[in-house]
Amino acid sequence: MAYTELIKNFSRIRDYMRDFYIYGFKSRDDFTQKSPRSYDDERRRIESWFGDYMRFRQSAAGKTVFLSVDSRLCRHNPLYQAWKTKSFTDGDITLHFILLDLLTLADTPLSVHEITERTDAYLSAFTNPRLFDESTVRNKLREYVSEGILTAEKRGKTLYYKRAADTACYDTDVLDFFSEVSPCGVIGSFLLDLAGPKGIPRRDCFAFKHHYITNAMDSEIVCRLLFAMQEKRSVALEITGRDGNRRTAGCVIPLRIMISVQGGRQYLMAYTPGSGRIRSFRTDRILSVTPGEVSDRFDALREKLDGMRPHMWGVSTQSRSGRRTESVTFTVRYAADEQYIHHRLERERRCGTVEQIDGCTSRFSAEVYDVSELIPWIRTFLCRITEIHFSNAAVEAQFKQDIRAMYRLYGLEGGDAI
Amino acid sequence: MIFSELYSAYYHAVAEILKHAVDHPLRKNEMRRIVEKYAFGESIRIVEPALTQERWQLLLPDGTTPVRAAPSMPMTLIQKRWLTSLSSDPRLRLFVDEPLDFGDVPPLFTQDDICLFDQYADGDDYTDPAYQKNFRLILNAIRNQYPLRIDMINRRGKQTHMNVLPKYLEYSEKDDKFRLFCLGHHFSGTVNLGRIARCGRCTRNYQKPFSREMPPDPGSVTFELSDERNALERVLFHFAHFKKQAEKIGEHRYRITLWYAKEDETELVIRILSFGPMIRVTAPSYFQDLIRERLSRQKNLGL
Repeated sequence: MAYTELIKNFSRIRDYMRDFYIYGFKSRDDFTQKSPRSYDDERRRIESWFGDYMRFRQSAAGKTVFLSVDSRLCRHNPLYQAWKTKSFTDGDITLHFILLDLLTLADTPLSVHEITERTDAYLSAFTNPRLFDESTVRNKLREYVSEGILTAEKRGKTLYYKRAADTACYDTDVLDFFSEVSPCGVIGSFLLDLAGPKGIPRRDCFAFKHHYITNAMDSEIVCRLLFAMQEKRSVALEITGRDGNRRTAGCVIPLRIMISVQGGRQYLMAYTPGSGRIRSFRTDRILSVTPGEVSDRFDALREKLDGMRPHMWGVSTQSRSGRRTESVTFTVRYAADEQYIHHRLERERRCGTVEQIDGCTSRFSAEVYDVSELIPWIRTFLCRITEIHFSNAAVEAQFKQDIRAMYRLYGLEGGDAI
Repeated sequence: MIFSELYSAYYHAVAEILKHAVDHPLRKNEMRRIVEKYAFGESIRIVEPALTQERWQLLLPDGTTPVRAAPSMPMTLIQKRWLTSLSSDPRLRLFVDEPLDFGDVPPLFTQDDICLFDQYADGDDYTDPAYQKNFRLILNAIRNQYPLRIDMINRRGKQTHMNVLPKYLEYSEKDDKFRLFCLGHHFSGTVNLGRIARCGRCTRNYQKPFSREMPPDPGSVTFELSDERNALERVLFHFAHFKKQAEKIGEHRYRITLWYAKEDETELVIRILSFGPMIRVTAPSYFQDLIRERLSRQKNLGL
């Protein structure tokens, strides 16, 4: 098929975008799952959509293409562009503008027959006018009713259509901000497109720090999960494992979207009837979401998840040791003028507790499902830790072994110093 | 759903083309300018022939259109649902007193459906009326570029004041705080909104700023990564928001360079430490020293 800039299916481009943006080191030969031509087409599309953000590097391994974005400098998530690339037919776009125009001008709601006749009148101005039959027009009208841009009312046996009422929207400041920080922010970006430049260039008032734009690629998945949660429905998930293989996770009851603002990942917490557990699924590994039945257990399961929160550091709900919960306690020491260390513990402690032992010493403790989730955070206090104890001996041994490995890496304990 | 042609750049570009064609016969160069502005790099190759060859029967050969009203589209249901969701976000009150009412449209999500599980606990208080008032004034001043007089409590708890020209607000989801970037005669830099005691329009004694708007002082760090325990993916996700360059240098070994603002160097040091022995900083040497110094101090504590 000839190359086009637009796409029908988002899932394939989602993988390529992740590879170009998150990884950014793969050359053409590394994309072995698809044909080289498929790679060339996807790269060309991404280049066309993201223009200035594309970078190239030549190395011995070949040419590497990647997306380079400093999200602190861009005021609008550039990855949202990918959601504005859905393909359509010649008939779709022709009918779209004619239908909306004729319904804008109509004083009263119109039947499919009347709409089809008026459509013909619009097209009669062309040399070879298209002809839309009533069933095509009806299907498009139905689609637009379900999207909410038209409304239909029944009179006798006939449906009459009219434009949905125009509604007020928040100003661009609200949309600028929430399109970047709110789940499914791409919807805000669609609204901003409609607000559009009205002759006077807009000043962007907001910038964003620690801003993970990657989750934009999971917008449709998250949207479907949110729909299901609002309706308290179960869903069937199709996921991909670490090995990249597609598999079915079966039917789950989605309970909450958990977002890491420090790690850039986004998770679904869901009850899996097969295992009888609430567990997490990474949203970037969910390939499809199919709505199922309404579940009468939703409220009870969400309550159960709330009850688990005091033992959840991240999204893990099970220990590696097989115990129900594991504990960690560590003590940090700081100078009298370094009280910000104690404040750091307080503000970053999540489900843990912090105790100031004296003016220069604080102790943190937590009892969690999976104590290994805390390790990266505990390492941020390296240079101050005077004592540490994990209930899980294997985790403690690994923690101490890693510290010794770090000493070696930096020439503090022999080994291959740099 | 979200991936729909209704929101596509092509529909958007054609709507703009028709807006002009409703008003006057459209010239080809006008069409090209519109497509360049509203669509993608290669779009003109598709849009122009599709319209001129009448595959999309919307534009007549003389540049006029059978469409009579400037195109507009009512809000879709999903857009209304998303906007309804904002009503339960406390940050909305920074912008408006009352949320918009979309009747019986259900929200796409509530605050109970979402959890930012690693957000810091000492975020700004968006429900504080004084904070809301300051926020709105600052936003207005940025939009209209007038100077402000700001009284604030500095880190040492001392009250200070300054006259500044506000440039933009920066929000961090991790910190859950807003900072104001501003230029002043004596001060240029950032102000935490949470530290502002009072804020008003500066009407006298305002001296134009010395400095121009400058990008943050840049730094870079290069490290080598050993892809054990899924480190590659964790590291690249974690540092995804920086401008970066990654290359494979061996079997399961990668070299990564990040560019960051110098003011955030300490934060970057501890974020690199959090990955333990999976990451080894290789340049610059003073950054290696920053890591080595912390590890040395830790070693002296006997762990």
